[in-house]
Amino acid sequence: MIFVAVGTQLAFDRLIKYMDEWAKINSEKVIAQIAEGSYLPKHIEYKKYFKNDEYIAMVKESSIFVSHAGMGNIFTAKELMTPIIVVNRQLKLNEHRNDHQADGLKWMAKLKGVYTATTKDELFDYLKHKNLESDESISPNNSNVISEFIKQLILEKNF
Amino acid sequence: MKKRLKIIAISSPGGHWIELQKICKPLEEIFNIVYVNPNNQFTKSDDDSSNNISIIDASAKTKLKLIILSFQLIKIILFNRPKYIISTGAAPGAIAVLLAKWLPCKTIWIDSIANTKELSLSGKLVKNHVTIFLTQWENLVDEKIMFKGALL
Repeated sequence: MIFVAVGTQLAFDRLIKYMDEWAKINSEKVIAQIAEGSYLPKHIEYKKYFKNDEYIAMVKESSIFVSHAGMGNIFTAKELMTPIIVVNRQLKLNEHRNDHQADGLKWMAKLKGVYTATTKDELFDYLKHKNLESDESISPNNSNVISEFIKQLILEKNF
Repeated sequence: MKKRLKIIAISSPGGHWIELQKICKPLEEIFNIVYVNPNNQFTKSDDDSSNNISIIDASAKTKLKLIILSFQLIKIILFNRPKYIISTGAAPGAIAVLLAKWLPCKTIWIDSIANTKELSLSGKLVKNHVTIFLTQWENLVDEKIMFKGALL
């Protein structure tokens, strides 16, 4: 199963259309969370929103997670060890408030288990070849440098 | 037992919320963290027992909701009297930080890792109003903005 999700605030009909087209010509089941999108896919099982627990289960069970270029989904995919393909929203297509998803794509591509696509062809290419790897190096509850810095800052009251 | 220091951790849903949790979960053992976010089906899991206050989901695109959100936040901040407010963005965190200016409350902003080349829209708005501003990208450091590492 391929799971598709486009975030929680905005529509991303272009990606849903791409995946609907993919589902039409391929046998693997596709499930999508379409959020505020107005395009209703014909070949995909979809919901506007899944509950958090269902959502996690979908990402976990899917062979590939197809997503907008959002950090939340990258964290989730890495923690659940599902390879993720991200497609960026574009400012010029009026898909977001600025172009940070395009800016982010370059470094996202360097992350293990994360694949980036800007066009339908690139996306289909990844889906076709199916040799995507997941990241198995991250553990979900790691403490991190930022928490540690904030902790010290507050404990030492030096600001 | 000494009363634990109260901190409000606030963000919008999605990536901001995931980053906020990653930062604040390790702080829960020493501080009393009150989470504030649009607590809906995307953020809440059934076994979630943490201290959580729900707010309306508003963004720069929904002006009327921003006004309602502001009143909600005034009430939450005055009632909880936090010593610190921590946020990763976007609109809810920005409003909370601006409100905290009039209170004896320090603020810590961590701009989302998604903003690689320039600050987020909300980050730009609060930059001169927060006590501590952290970016997750070294190239964005200036006299106000600090880099101490990133979540990925």
